[in-house]
Amino acid sequence: MASTEGNLLRGEPFQDPTTSSPRNASAYKPLHTFELPKGAEKHYQQQFADMYFLRLAQLKNAVKQKAAEAWDDFELGGEKARYVERVLDVRQGELCWVVGTVYMEMGLKPNVLDDISKEHWIAAPPPRETYVNPSGQDDMMLEDESGRLRVTGETVSAQYVTGCILAALGTEQADGSFQVVATTYADLPQQPERWKGEEIKKAPKVDSKGGKAKKVAIISGLGISGTEDDDLTLDLLLEYLTGEASGPPDQAEAIQLSRLVIAGNSLSHASPILSREDFAAKKSQRKNYGYDASSYNSTPAEKLDTFLSQILPTIPVTLLPGDSDPANVALPQQPLHPALFPQSRPFVNPPSQSKDTLEGFDPVTNPWEGYIEGWRVLGTGGQTVEDLLRYVEDVEPLEAMEMMLRWRCIAPTAPDTLSCYPFQDDDPFLLKVCPHVYFSGNMDKFGKRVIEGPGGQKVLLVAVPKFKETGQIVLVDMESLEVELVEIGVVAPGS
Amino acid sequence: MPEQNYKEYLAARLLAENRPVTYRLLSRAVKVHVNRGKQMLYEFHRNQNAKKPRSIHATYLITGKKRTSEHTNGLNGKDGEDAVMQDSPFPSSLPGTQEPDEKPVSTTSIVLVREEELEKTKAEFVEVTSIHIYSLEPGPIEDLGVLSLCNEEVATKFTKEDPLERWQLYGCIHNPHIKRRTPKSGIAASKTTSKPAAKPTAKPQPKELIPAVQTDSKPSASNTKTSTSAAPKATLQRSNSTKSNPPKKTSVGDLFKSFAKTKPPKPKESEDSPMGGMSEDEGEDSEPESGAPKVDEAKLEAARKEKEARKEELLKMMEEDVDMADAATPQDTNADEVSQDANDDAPLDSQDKAEPAESEEPVVAAVAGGRRRGRRRVTKRKKVKDADGYLVTKEETVWESFSEDEKPPEPKKLKPVPNSSAKGGKKGAPKGQGSIASFFKKA
Repeated sequence: MASTEGNLLRGEPFQDPTTSSPRNASAYKPLHTFELPKGAEKHYQQQFADMYFLRLAQLKNAVKQKAAEAWDDFELGGEKARYVERVLDVRQGELCWVVGTVYMEMGLKPNVLDDISKEHWIAAPPPRETYVNPSGQDDMMLEDESGRLRVTGETVSAQYVTGCILAALGTEQADGSFQVVATTYADLPQQPERWKGEEIKKAPKVDSKGGKAKKVAIISGLGISGTEDDDLTLDLLLEYLTGEASGPPDQAEAIQLSRLVIAGNSLSHASPILSREDFAAKKSQRKNYGYDASSYNSTPAEKLDTFLSQILPTIPVTLLPGDSDPANVALPQQPLHPALFPQSRPFVNPPSQSKDTLEGFDPVTNPWEGYIEGWRVLGTGGQTVEDLLRYVEDVEPLEAMEMMLRWRCIAPTAPDTLSCYPFQDDDPFLLKVCPHVYFSGNMDKFGKRVIEGPGGQKVLLVAVPKFKETGQIVLVDMESLEVELVEIGVVAPGS
Repeated sequence: MPEQNYKEYLAARLLAENRPVTYRLLSRAVKVHVNRGKQMLYEFHRNQNAKKPRSIHATYLITGKKRTSEHTNGLNGKDGEDAVMQDSPFPSSLPGTQEPDEKPVSTTSIVLVREEELEKTKAEFVEVTSIHIYSLEPGPIEDLGVLSLCNEEVATKFTKEDPLERWQLYGCIHNPHIKRRTPKSGIAASKTTSKPAAKPTAKPQPKELIPAVQTDSKPSASNTKTSTSAAPKATLQRSNSTKSNPPKKTSVGDLFKSFAKTKPPKPKESEDSPMGGMSEDEGEDSEPESGAPKVDEAKLEAARKEKEARKEELLKMMEEDVDMADAATPQDTNADEVSQDANDDAPLDSQDKAEPAESEEPVVAAVAGGRRRGRRRVTKRKKVKDADGYLVTKEETVWESFSEDEKPPEPKKLKPVPNSSAKGGKKGAPKGQGSIASFFKKA
């Protein structure tokens, strides 16, 4: 039943293996949007308030413009809606609209004061899956430089999260809350055409010979733990990527891959800050102060290094860190240190030549953006989506990703519930250019969707599942932006 | 040729050693294309089981599209999601999300399965695009995880080839665009590569060494032309010996250890030393590792013998050199010239060194009229920016000439020294020079 070509259940005489064509070059231009200043220039004394100020200042005009388009002629009961500059200038009973930052006051949201008083607890509360208070007493506020306004109304429930910039239309009630009729947001920013992005216009275009299809493989959550049970699927993945597994027809498919993107969580328990469970487990074991070198297990990192060093001769790799990787915890996570990869390191361009490794091994930041085959690609390790989903109920990861793009902020919940670097002059999380592909790693299951913007922007959203749990690799065709899946599995004996 | 080898290899591994083998390991071991390796496994499996049924077990790798039942399941799940989506407040404000993607995402499955479950698994596939034997085992295996040990073997044992050339032999996908830096510091290489792996990089080194030595020895020879008998002889002979010897040596480290008298090729050394460092590592590494790969044992044994032979040769040479030095001593002035030359070379060195000498071990000293001179080994720490812009700190031992014209009160004490040092130099030098070093600390 297998095609004759792919059937290798043949004995002597052996067929001569057909020589396969080489892999195509990957047209690649990483951007360094999320790189933090190095060394002593990295400060942590700043206040986070500046981030919110920046966000509002940069997005206010865009949101205002959108809202003006929508509500300029809006009348309710013969009353025309009026724009109010500051949220505290809203007068009671007057139909108006304001622009501000959302702040969610939620029952189960972690609170810094709680953390301080944690020592008084008998047992720490379990880690939160959601911040939504089951009794439904969560409050939504709209704030700007002047103050805060409590917002009520059906349309706003469970739609917004802390940190997004919003325009709200409504009237102030007798109790001082702002009854909202409609809301609007900035929506997708401008999107360059393929090959026309600012940063790559000048770069020499890699000509794709004969227009052969190129694909980019995206995986996340390799979750290498150092135990033996995950080795075999990883081996199969390796063999698939190097084109050794399967017969000639499938090997020819694998040749089309021109780049591998690893979207976070390559190692499973390597974060420098322990999760709540890990911490509790460790604390109960024994009391040891300071760094305990004997408890460090280097096997997972070595395995990842070996894995990379074996696939790197055949395919270039872009590696994003995730929340369980040994990178800094606060977003944007900086590239994994080359010292972790003694064997793969030779594939990184030396710093003296250039900052970008175009072909080879490129450890990058999380989130990361860059150009692949002329498309602008934005990707994260998944923490931003995960955290956003804790604010809302019944929302799919793809919807959350879509909302982030439309709010023009890819990490709205930072710095509220997601740790991040205190940016001062510029917030890189604000979306200035709309990507063509937006992926998020470490999702529970695979998903994809194409969304469209008001200016004809088209964005492919991809939720990349955890490889360790699903065995799935996402392939994105860089000509048509079609998505396909490859699933790697092992049939358990006796099943 | 590999056609015969593979049967022996498989028989030895499966039937004698009782260890599983994957197609990748086979292709590495007998150096064939992976696809050919898969067919070899099949051939062997068929033959063996024809002789003795069920003596060899196999696992298969199936690639293809799975039956649609799974797909529809997936789709149903998706429809469910869509329903949820419509309830949620998002769509009202979002254009373009109303119609979900109807086209199911095409999924290729790659499944590893034992022969026991092969038929059942095959039935789940609508279309099998390729199928091959993944591995053979001496008996049914309960835990497929053992196969990863084979792959680990591939990763650790067969690293000697240039990874960028692997595709030609084994049929991995070739990517002509990937560039790889050759590790310069040798840290990465020494850690992972076994002895055979390091060899190719060490090979070019003797070639480099020859010109270095020649250029170095020439000026000294021309300088000493004017001077009288013994000294030129000594230097000439010395240069002869240096000329003839280095090509035989594989490691620079050994060379400098055992050559007490000869002039080191100073200018070139900074380039060579990282490699020397690597091959030293190699020597250390090869011993613990030699136990693991059985195939290489004979080779290693031979290499070891060779090494010992070389050591002996060098020891002899050493003795000759020391004698020569003694012969040279009566001619102060001439010999001084020689050492002057050596001193002229020294500044060349000091340009490079960032930090001064770490430890000094005068090894050979010759006394002439109360003046002592000779060469000592100095460990220098050097910071060099390599071609890639990394700052590399190297520790290297350099031979330095010195003379002590400025120390008149010493000779009385030192007089008895040269003899003992010359004798001690013969025996002590190759092993450890600690005792001599401490003796000379004061000087």
